[in-house]
Amino acid sequence: MRSRGLAIALASVVLSVVIQTTVFAPDSVRLFGTAPNLVLLVVVVCARWLDPEPALFLGFTAGLLVDLLGSAPLGLWAMSLTVVAYLTLQVRGRVADGPLVVGIGILGLTFVGQFLFVVLGTLFGLQTITDPQLVQNLLLPSIYNVILAPAVFWVLARLLRPQQRVWST
Amino acid sequence: MLSSGRRFDRTTALFLSLLAASFIFATFDVRAQGEGAGGIMRDGAQQLFAPAQKAAEFAVAPVVGFVDGISNIAGLRAENERLQAEVNSLEQQLRETAALERRVAELEAISGLEAPEELAAVTARIFSAGPGTFDQIRYIDKGKADGVLVGNAVIDEHGLVGRVDRVTENNARVRLITDPLVAVGVRVESTNETGVVTGRGGGALRLEMFQATQPVREGDVVVTDGSRFPPGIVVGFISETADVVVGFALRTAVEPAVPLSEVDFVKVVVGWSPLDAGIEEPGGLIEPPPFVDPTTERR
Repeated sequence: MRSRGLAIALASVVLSVVIQTTVFAPDSVRLFGTAPNLVLLVVVVCARWLDPEPALFLGFTAGLLVDLLGSAPLGLWAMSLTVVAYLTLQVRGRVADGPLVVGIGILGLTFVGQFLFVVLGTLFGLQTITDPQLVQNLLLPSIYNVILAPAVFWVLARLLRPQQRVWST
Repeated sequence: MLSSGRRFDRTTALFLSLLAASFIFATFDVRAQGEGAGGIMRDGAQQLFAPAQKAAEFAVAPVVGFVDGISNIAGLRAENERLQAEVNSLEQQLRETAALERRVAELEAISGLEAPEELAAVTARIFSAGPGTFDQIRYIDKGKADGVLVGNAVIDEHGLVGRVDRVTENNARVRLITDPLVAVGVRVESTNETGVVTGRGGGALRLEMFQATQPVREGDVVVTDGSRFPPGIVVGFISETADVVVGFALRTAVEPAVPLSEVDFVKVVVGWSPLDAGIEEPGGLIEPPPFVDPTTERR
């Protein structure tokens, strides 16, 4: 079950990367010039149900994939998404469950993940902090992720936890 | 998970190890300037993902185009209210064909586009973008097999889009002019003075002119100066008037000529490289004047 869950999660990440780079590309589905951060959302949702080690491994692998297809130095998104997976592991057992809490959690985790990338990117010479649309690029994907979360939860819950309800821990 | 201290320790240890691994990756990749093992992995990932991305792009294009077409029609309706009566009968048809028409128009425009100074160019289609929110890159469906090389300028019918910075056999990665790592040597057409335009991650570009003697005005056209890109390609338009202040560089903003979020087809200028600039313009090597024998001249 553990390896099956990880395999499903990895397949979901690969699919989310393809969707992120095509459906949510700049000339495709975008609102106010920004798209959801689907890969990050999938990492958060999967990390909520996977065991700790596979969840961390998933965050790292997803980040590495984004790095490989992106323009940032290799490892920056890997670092950011590993931190996001770790924070998800820390939060998931400590807070009460429910759509509102999960929504706030996703909003916060998306923001933190992207903000961490901005800081790391700036440290590694990407000058991401000088982006005039920085606030918009940090806030809007976080909001979009909250809107997308129910659909992603619904799909991944059925794949990763077929016997349980969507919001159950 | 948290009830067992040992379990927590294992998780934290793995977390720290992965962070350390990421940091090492990043450090080596920066030192290798995107080449080396990181470059090979990038090329491999690009080739691996390209078929899936092309398939996904092909599958969702009608839906995306339909949504885009509807939004375009809504915009036009607002602008052309007095033409509403004439438009009504065509609206339904436009909704169905707007997406297709837009793509065809763009392809026609790019096909009719003459590359600067009749340089050889390859038409390519953008099939995906970078996955990160802050990525200023696009992937095109032409690569080494079509003559595309690293450093080639990428243009569309409006002007400069960016430059090729990675190439595989059948695909290439284009770094847009809005990327902070891209610097373009430019000339302001109204003053004929040169400067450097750099990206800021999105929106307007930054123009710096270190030897400016004349002010630049809003709307002035900024073109490439031929140092790293073929000369004369429109980069953008000055969006803020700026005066010269003695002792300081002239700094202002430039609005890109190309609507970068809407680009679908591009041309890669394959018949020009930065080395050509040195041959065409004797900027680096100044040829000595021809020797004239004074005695011969007197006669």
